[in-house]
Amino acid sequence: MTLLDISGLTLDLPNGTRLLDAISITVAEGETVGLVGESGSGKSLTARSVLGLLPDRAETGGSVHLLGRSVLGASRSELLDLRRTTASMIFQDPRAGINPMRTVGDHLTEAMRLCEQRSAADARAAASSLLAAVRMPRPDEHLRQYPHELSGGMLQRVMIAGALSSSPRLLICDEPTTALDVTTQAEIIAVLAEQRASRGMGMLFITHDLNLAASICDRVYVMNAGRVEEQGDARQVFRDPQAAYTKRLVAATPTIVVADAEIDAIEARADVPGRASTAAPASSLPAGAGVVATPASTEPMLVASGVSKTYLRRGKAPVHAVIDASIEIPRGGALGIVGESGSGKSTLARMIVGLEQADAGDIRIAGRERTGAPTTRVARLAHARSVQMVFQDPYLSLDPRITAGRAIEDALRLHARLTTADARARVVELLEQVGLGDRHAQARPRTLSGGQRQRVAIARALAIEPDLLVMDEATSALDVSVQAQVLGVVERIRRDRGLTVLFISHDLAVVRRLCDETVVMRTGEIVERGRTIELLSAPQQPYTRLLIDSVPRPDWGREAVPQN
Amino acid sequence: MTTLRQVAGKLGGLLLTLFLASLLVFFSRFLVPGDPVSFLLRGRKPSPEAIAQVAAQYGLGLPPWQQYLDWVGGILQGDFGRSLQFRQDVSVVIGERLPVTLGLVVMAGTMIAVVGLIAGAVAALNRGRVLDRAVLVGLTVLGAIPSFVGSIVLIAVFAVQLGWFPSFGSGEGFLDTVYHLVLPSIALAVVFVVLIAKVTRSSMIDQLGREHVEVATSRGLTRGTVIRRHVFRNAIGPILTVSGLLVAGLLVASSIVEAAFGLSGIGSLLVQSVDRLDFPVVQAIVLLIVTAFVVVNAIIDILEPWVDPRSAAGAGAR
Amino acid sequence: MTTPTMAVKVLRAPRVRRGNLSFDISLAILAVMTLAAMFAPLIAPYDPDAVDFAAIYSGPTAAHWLGTDALGRDILSRMIFGARPALLGPLLVVVASTVIGILLGLLAGWRGGWIDAVLGRIFDVVFAFPALLIAIMAVALFGKGLVAPVVAMSIAYAPFVARLTRTLVASERSRPYVAAYRVQGFSGSWIALRRVLPNVTPIVGAQSTLNFGYVLAELAALSFLGLGVQAPTADWGAMINEGQAGVVGGYFLPAIVPAIAVVIVVVAVNVIGEELSDRIGGGIPA
Repeated sequence: MTLLDISGLTLDLPNGTRLLDAISITVAEGETVGLVGESGSGKSLTARSVLGLLPDRAETGGSVHLLGRSVLGASRSELLDLRRTTASMIFQDPRAGINPMRTVGDHLTEAMRLCEQRSAADARAAASSLLAAVRMPRPDEHLRQYPHELSGGMLQRVMIAGALSSSPRLLICDEPTTALDVTTQAEIIAVLAEQRASRGMGMLFITHDLNLAASICDRVYVMNAGRVEEQGDARQVFRDPQAAYTKRLVAATPTIVVADAEIDAIEARADVPGRASTAAPASSLPAGAGVVATPASTEPMLVASGVSKTYLRRGKAPVHAVIDASIEIPRGGALGIVGESGSGKSTLARMIVGLEQADAGDIRIAGRERTGAPTTRVARLAHARSVQMVFQDPYLSLDPRITAGRAIEDALRLHARLTTADARARVVELLEQVGLGDRHAQARPRTLSGGQRQRVAIARALAIEPDLLVMDEATSALDVSVQAQVLGVVERIRRDRGLTVLFISHDLAVVRRLCDETVVMRTGEIVERGRTIELLSAPQQPYTRLLIDSVPRPDWGREAVPQN
Repeated sequence: MTTLRQVAGKLGGLLLTLFLASLLVFFSRFLVPGDPVSFLLRGRKPSPEAIAQVAAQYGLGLPPWQQYLDWVGGILQGDFGRSLQFRQDVSVVIGERLPVTLGLVVMAGTMIAVVGLIAGAVAALNRGRVLDRAVLVGLTVLGAIPSFVGSIVLIAVFAVQLGWFPSFGSGEGFLDTVYHLVLPSIALAVVFVVLIAKVTRSSMIDQLGREHVEVATSRGLTRGTVIRRHVFRNAIGPILTVSGLLVAGLLVASSIVEAAFGLSGIGSLLVQSVDRLDFPVVQAIVLLIVTAFVVVNAIIDILEPWVDPRSAAGAGAR
Repeated sequence: MTTPTMAVKVLRAPRVRRGNLSFDISLAILAVMTLAAMFAPLIAPYDPDAVDFAAIYSGPTAAHWLGTDALGRDILSRMIFGARPALLGPLLVVVASTVIGILLGLLAGWRGGWIDAVLGRIFDVVFAFPALLIAIMAVALFGKGLVAPVVAMSIAYAPFVARLTRTLVASERSRPYVAAYRVQGFSGSWIALRRVLPNVTPIVGAQSTLNFGYVLAELAALSFLGLGVQAPTADWGAMINEGQAGVVGGYFLPAIVPAIAVVIVVVAVNVIGEELSDRIGGGIPA
């Protein structure tokens, strides 16, 4: 019998908006089915419909059957029974999904005690063995802990253990690793795969990550704007997409797989100038603020040497956020810094743009000392002209009250005396450079999409004509297709203006697309550096290798995706 | 969960706040320009003995900080000075009236807790539906009824028109006292019921939208269990915090209700003492109310790690 | 990222779109009352203090629409004149406490550090003194009337405004848009005053509107206790106080009319304040 059978599912809001349109999905016993789509595609709503978690106000049509029992329109007790015995769900953010006021043990045993009437001791023993099954190191101790005492990866294991406590036939995973670091993601995926295999469960796996879906799923459904665009064998769909949307999605998805041809091409021009060198930087240059150096054209645009930052916390051990980090970027070059959360990559970026002050070390941009905090207005403006930054979250990095045009104009007029007409003309010019136009100038951030906002942020940074542009996870909050557009804009500007870029990301594939050179950071230290392609194809350090191996990859080898 | 050090820190904060508040209460007198004796004996025809007595009692010849230390030292030994209007010790005067006020506050507090929590929970669980809107409209109207208005209306309807309840006095014996305090405590409770109901509603609505509630639902827990164990349990924190802030307001508002219903509690004593220029009594009552407020809030603060385990780790500390 | 659950959240959060009718009515009520207070001598049918022993406790008649009180004074005229202290007092308190509170809150939230700690401690102490208690103390010190209580309550309410402002400013300060301004080279004071302040002011302002209702009730309570506006001056609270004796005797109007007026104004102000909060709250992304 089919485990899950969704057929012709529709979902309408009371105001008539159709969120899901004729969705049909099946999952067989023991099968792993992927549900892939960008935000707003309706994949999470579809998943929730399986457990009857849709709000009452939504109007549904079609049918959802779990082991032959209808979910839509099921009575309350029937629904409880389905949730208790047949299917369970793992949610995206374990931090939000586990009640912060209750212990892990409480979370795990709650359903067993209250729904299955098992004794407290019995439930506790079961919970403990479940924690062991998801490879938590000290199960009995964890039972007494509160969620805030555990890391995100640990908590997601707790969430998985909780979902398994009812021995479900179907496990629904809603972006279970999106909030996690890539190495943690690999561990969680391994646990999920192991449990699915040993229990013979069916699995409905929702993700925005094409590579992840391709690497673990038997079949996939690609969703877009509330419809299933394409479905079929995972390998088939991604290798040879049929629907136009899937084609675009596959094309937009960056990959870390390095084709042999690329390596050859790189080796052929191995002596291109401007490596992010490991050599001792800049010691021969005159140091100290105020020294006017006439930079030779070969001098790197950014030289950071021996930069350190330590945060002191009262009553706790100090955090060494960045330890003796040195990087260099040649003029017109692009350097990527890759690392997981807590690696210190963002702190390093914030020190370079002057948002944080380094405890030790030396930062020079275009030959000028930029280590200390500027004290005068002139110094502050000069610092701003040397380096600009694009932030991670475009929803928060634009002032909600200020229109896009005004934001850019403010930046322009702070740095140059311009007449209103000149400034306006320049604003439009800048907006056009990032693929926006005059009509976006009047728009407040709220009315712009994430990609548009990020492009406004880029235009605003470019308005100041900085020597160096720092992009801190600038595309992480965006859907892949939008990310591809924004990366395209950055690439074009680099080509046209010879802009120097420092690109910080947790995503090796994105860095690979944009950066010639890459630095890998871990817990505040730089562990490896080199040409991106070489680093990806032949990592020297174990951590780099772990990082690369953790990135999900279909095991059936995919040709390097053509990039636009 | 709570370490002894955290409790000690919070007690330190409590003492500091109390100390600063006592400075304010004591030195407020120095804001009034002119001779302190004539201020303290305003509106009276002081005999030379009276002047001498007041000057001695306050140590008016001493430097201000010495006066303060003497005053605080006295209070710590239960000596609040002498009332000018009653010619008795302030502590005796207050002691006689405290039970009525406490009875009033306890009865009102019970009503506030029961009605406020129920109204707020009912509204939250029916969010956006007719019942929620009805409760909200009711709360908006009730919230606009200050205790003196409530007193007048209750007296007019239930005491004068219907004659169900007395409109004056506090009665004798337990049941009679409760009977006498019904209308006053309703009048006192109304505004506070609304505040508690509103914070309960918004706090529960906040929790209802959280993902952990959805997770609990997805695991097959009944709606009642989810609401009890996840929604209401987690909503307690803000409700408790607001409740603590209301304590002082409740004590002060009781002065209005006591005045309206002719109850002789410390609230009406405060008003009477202001009216009769009996500053020592005013000072003592203000200090009492402030102390009650600070102590209740310190208790809530110490309970916080139990309400929200995250704060025990210092993560939730301000 | 718009999290995948966003759609679910949107679905779960029914937007109670209350009609703006109640908002409009509330505005109209306040406008009428304000105008009546401003032009009281032109509108009031009688001298509010004119005693008429021939018409004691008259019910509503053509001559006295809302009846008369124990001294035969026209209640409508006293209501119109009484609106002056009833509305002006809270207005002054709200304006003063909002200005003081925003400045202190901005200072504490933007500068942080020891300034924040010291101000926070001071606010905590003031919170221990409810506004009405501070007002009563002010009367005990400086004598009866509205001046001392208005000043005292401005001080009592300022910490509420300040703490809200502080919280908002501190959260704005940690937002990337502020960091973005810094990176662009704008000075800290420019960001604080020209960008952060305008972003938080509407929220604080809406909250202060709600304070108006509380202050009005508390000042009226003070007069009701006989500590505020003194007889024979017309004031709503004082009128309720004077009318109290009549209630026991079965003459409700002299006390009930001003009581209803207080309730109506407070309801109107709260409806306006909450609607403003809703509208503004929707405009700023969390």
